[in-house]
Amino acid sequence: MTVDPSTIAALILLFGILAGIALGMPIAVGIGLSTLAAAVVLLGPDRAVLTTSQRMFTGINSFPLLAIPLFVLAGSLMNSGGIATRLIDAAKVLVGRMPSSLAATNVVANGLFGAVSGAAVAAAAAVGTVTQPRMVQEGYNRPYAAAVNVASAPAGMLIPPSNTFIVYSLVSSTSIAALFMAGVGPGLVWVLACIAVVMVMHKKYGAPPATEHPTIGQSLLTVWRAVPSLFMIVIVVGGILIGWFTPTESAAIAVVYTLVLGLLYREMTVGNLPKVLLDSARTTAIVMLLVGVSSALSWVMSFARIPRLVSDALLGLTTNPQVILILMMIILLVVGTFMDPTPAILIFTPIFLPIVSEFGIHPVHFGAIIVYNLSVGVITPPVGNVLFVGARVAGLRIEPVVAKLGWFLLALFIGLLIVVFVPFLSMWLPTTLGLI
Amino acid sequence: ACGNGSDSSGSTAGGGGGGADMRLALNQTEEHPSFIALDNFGQKLSEDTEDRYSIEVYPNEELGAQAEALQYVGDGSVDLAIVSGTQLENLNADFAAFNMPGAFDSVEHQMEVIHDEEIVGDLYTSLEESNNVTILGGFTQGTRSIYSDKEIRTPEDMAGMKVRVQESPLHIGMIEAMGGSATPMAFGEVYTALQSGVLDGAENNEVSYFTQKHFEVAPVYSRTNHLVGLDYLIINTDVLESMSEEDRQAFLDGWTAAHQEHTQLWAEATDQAIADAEAGGATFVDVDAEAFAEAIAPLQEEFLTTDSQKALFDAARAAAK
Amino acid sequence: MAAVKRGLDRVLAVASVVLFAVLVVIVVWQVFSRQVLTPSTWTEEASRMTFVWLGFFATALVFSEKGHIAVDWLVRKLPLAGRKAVGVLVQLAIIAMSVLILVWGGWRASQGAWNQQLSSLPGTLGQMYLVMPITGVLILVYALHHLVDALRADPFAHDEDLEQVVVEKGGE
Ligand code: NA
Ligand code: NA
Repeated sequence: MTVDPSTIAALILLFGILAGIALGMPIAVGIGLSTLAAAVVLLGPDRAVLTTSQRMFTGINSFPLLAIPLFVLAGSLMNSGGIATRLIDAAKVLVGRMPSSLAATNVVANGLFGAVSGAAVAAAAAVGTVTQPRMVQEGYNRPYAAAVNVASAPAGMLIPPSNTFIVYSLVSSTSIAALFMAGVGPGLVWVLACIAVVMVMHKKYGAPPATEHPTIGQSLLTVWRAVPSLFMIVIVVGGILIGWFTPTESAAIAVVYTLVLGLLYREMTVGNLPKVLLDSARTTAIVMLLVGVSSALSWVMSFARIPRLVSDALLGLTTNPQVILILMMIILLVVGTFMDPTPAILIFTPIFLPIVSEFGIHPVHFGAIIVYNLSVGVITPPVGNVLFVGARVAGLRIEPVVAKLGWFLLALFIGLLIVVFVPFLSMWLPTTLGLI
Repeated sequence: ACGNGSDSSGSTAGGGGGGADMRLALNQTEEHPSFIALDNFGQKLSEDTEDRYSIEVYPNEELGAQAEALQYVGDGSVDLAIVSGTQLENLNADFAAFNMPGAFDSVEHQMEVIHDEEIVGDLYTSLEESNNVTILGGFTQGTRSIYSDKEIRTPEDMAGMKVRVQESPLHIGMIEAMGGSATPMAFGEVYTALQSGVLDGAENNEVSYFTQKHFEVAPVYSRTNHLVGLDYLIINTDVLESMSEEDRQAFLDGWTAAHQEHTQLWAEATDQAIADAEAGGATFVDVDAEAFAEAIAPLQEEFLTTDSQKALFDAARAAAK
Repeated sequence: MAAVKRGLDRVLAVASVVLFAVLVVIVVWQVFSRQVLTPSTWTEEASRMTFVWLGFFATALVFSEKGHIAVDWLVRKLPLAGRKAVGVLVQLAIIAMSVLILVWGGWRASQGAWNQQLSSLPGTLGQMYLVMPITGVLILVYALHHLVDALRADPFAHDEDLEQVVVEKGGE
């Protein structure tokens, strides 16, 4: 009996990538070598090396992809430019009178930080560094305080700008502007889910609300000080909608704006720039290598018709759209526990999107779904960048923080169901703005 | 997946006449006339060669955009592809003659020229030695015009307009000759850019104008008819040469039927797109054709610099009657 | 070997910083020229090529720092000898990728596209592809360095400094 080369290729990809991850290889290397091996089966060694390398190059050679390094750079500039503390102060004015006000402040600050940066890790580090010591001082349970920060930080991956949406836009050929707008609703759902848990947990872990309240004048001043920082989101989104620049170009404008702001605040000097640029270049390289090898991977998968194999298998189980959607959500949640959103989106979008499109789910809505789903993974063990960083800035090991994440995960999961089954939430804003 | 028996291990480039399941890379969707005509071509080829040869069409750039597909066909990873003249021009400057604004008066004229052995014989085999690619002929991609939110009658109306172009010196020169400001931009960004005003206009055929929904944000289509677009079908030279005489004849006959069917489908798709766009609020207006022809004439001097380019262009014009 | 690595690190770091700064300037110029002057026609392609070169050089640098995303919680549960063996295997995998895909495949790709003109810049696509074999050789050097290290000491040691780097680098 002969085995179909496509099946061999599919098996090589599945087990090769899993083995690479289990052996502690850089994920990109595991993907790259497995892709090459599968391509050798399909094309022979000579064409396989050529096609894989060409595909890596062309995968990166994309103008919209430029938004990623530029938004990363803008985020780094913000971290070193004194913007985080101003946003936290503003968040405190907004929710300072609520029960568990400092925990709520942390959540809202992560939402605000998300609105000016494209990554979640940056929020967990920048906001957490300031809020964690204060929360412990006020008598919060330390692991719980870290869990609040960890759980709320990924909101920034949904609230625009978002590098994760840029990656999705590339593989799904959907408009970045529409995706950015589609992320706003689910991002708010994420923030509200965290706030809800903070309220419910108030009796158990909360600290008494601060007794001294700032005067209205002080509050206004605090908010005013944060306006220039928050104005970045106005420039980015407004500039896109008005037509000064494309979403990709807006990232470069964000860099210039945050640079000027950091220099004006005197928290940033020209001498710091090379270090900030180099740090951003590192992050860029990590994402870019993944994009490159995943681009080769998706080519080989298309060539072997693997997306069709998977969709036939899924449709063979059931043809009920709801059931298939839930199956996909479970697969992605499991994948997300050990895989970063970027490679997961690059691998699974070409497989899942054609299936859900047939059910009439809009690609923009599915983008919001998949990004929300995989964002959960960044706070779950065994592998979750935001979890690692959040625990670290709280000075804790991972385990105690994980122990306090349960209710947050439940709330975020309910949020996921809402995002999946209420398309209005994602689609209203981009539709109203005429982007789709 | 590739479960129809014979040889599913990819192409058989260089592998001696035994037949092959060929893969064809296409940049269009499954509803596009190009896909329909090519898919029918593949089915007919299977019948005519008793399943020795088949063609599976991979739509939606699944196997890469046109520039990549051209490389993959040369390498033999992919057997066939639809690529634009701009891509071929990067390898052999002579293709510029058929990419020139003003080369063709109509789709019919274009199809006649690009399938005339006397005119294109040497051109279509010119990449065999260097790139292992043979050109078989082409599909029209329709007549391109300018669209924006205002009527354009003369080149003067385009003064200062930021018009999206493909990133090629010729297309940039073309829009500038027509009076506008050429703005290269990725295709996927055009809708939002037109809507927000990053762009004042773009240029394309009626079918793309409708299917990409650009008519929603640029409701006036001014028939400048400045360019008749053209895509070529290319094949890996080894694959073509490995076909037996009989199979190759079946293949070439099938291809002739396919591009004829495509021309027919394209005309229908164009009429449909115009009707649908009009129903969606778009208007189609005529322009001062002579003024635009005059405006773009200097491009021929500028971009057709070699004798062979000029000869091809003149041959195309001579066939215009 | 260590001196070579330090020298290469330095060169790649400077190249990355310069290319990144150039990238920002090109994209800003694209917006400025379109909104204020006449639209620039070379910036789109120039920014893409700058980005690709930046990305590959920085990728090599991150290999030097062992900074690419990896999942090592499972491997860390192994005894030291097992960790060393896996550490060697990982570096061999990186060597295989750099030699096969980047050096061999990249060189072939470059040769194949050597005459393919870029659209708006002088130079050819083949010349741009050269970044892959160059980067491949650099990654190979770094991987050999780490391979020797893996034989000497625990390749999956819990390195506090490295952890700090991960924090600063962010990512998603
Ligand atoms: Na964000
Ligand atoms: Na996780």
